[in-house]
Amino acid sequence: MKRLFLSLCLVVLAAITVACSGAAADNPASAGPVDPNAPVITAQNMAFSPATLDVTANKAFSLTLDNKDGAPHNVAIYTDSSASSSISVGEIVSSSKSTQQVPALKPGTYFFRCDVHHEMTGTINAK
Amino acid sequence: MALRSADRALSPVDVALRVAIVGLALSTGYIHSTLGGVLFTLNAIGYLVAAVAMVIPLPLAVRYRWVVRLGLMGYAATTIIGWAIQGPYYTTAYIAKAIEVLLITLLAIDFARMDGNPVTVIKNEVADLQAKFGRRSATNSSNA
Repeated sequence: MKRLFLSLCLVVLAAITVACSGAAADNPASAGPVDPNAPVITAQNMAFSPATLDVTANKAFSLTLDNKDGAPHNVAIYTDSSASSSISVGEIVSSSKSTQQVPALKPGTYFFRCDVHHEMTGTINAK
Repeated sequence: MALRSADRALSPVDVALRVAIVGLALSTGYIHSTLGGVLFTLNAIGYLVAAVAMVIPLPLAVRYRWVVRLGLMGYAATTIIGWAIQGPYYTTAYIAKAIEVLLITLLAIDFARMDGNPVTVIKNEVADLQAKFGRRSATNSSNA
């Protein structure tokens, strides 16, 4: 009886784990398991995924944009959402990848967007 | 005074100009249609509608082709100004803007050939409207 109860608990736990991982995959805005030293941002269906990116502060890194849209996109990092002071502006590409070097960021929050589609935005947290 | 575009037969040069204008409008419209997003798609639709309005043989469109020319010039100029303000500045955008500058230039030439001085055209249209409304109000007062 105890074994049966334990087995049931394991099945329920497994079901919850699968359900939660599915929900995370469906949400493009969620922060995925991104390498903070070489993060990859995917552009698909006119949105960035992940839209929130954690990187290591005070350390330069390579940022790759994987544009899966036919429309052109880039990743342009700015000090804030006014987008008046750029830190790193990536190449605009369509249906391909582009890698840009991002200088070391001081601890804080930074804004990024697609320079073609200003509604495509995200946040970089340098920790 | 230049004849109204509606009253003038098209010469081979006029036809070539019209074809070039339509081609340029469709080209920049196509470029905008590939960019995705609502704003670019609406812009592309605008160019398509203007290109059709430039050649459609409907009496109303023929009569007011000068409005279409001025409208398309303004539309292209607005697109260029919008781009200059918010970018993006890359090869495809530069190509689209070059097309739009050429489009405005050809439209200005076409306007000058078909309609003459835009100020005179607008003055004449206003005078026409005033005459029509004057006639109508005179008719109404004589009927009363």
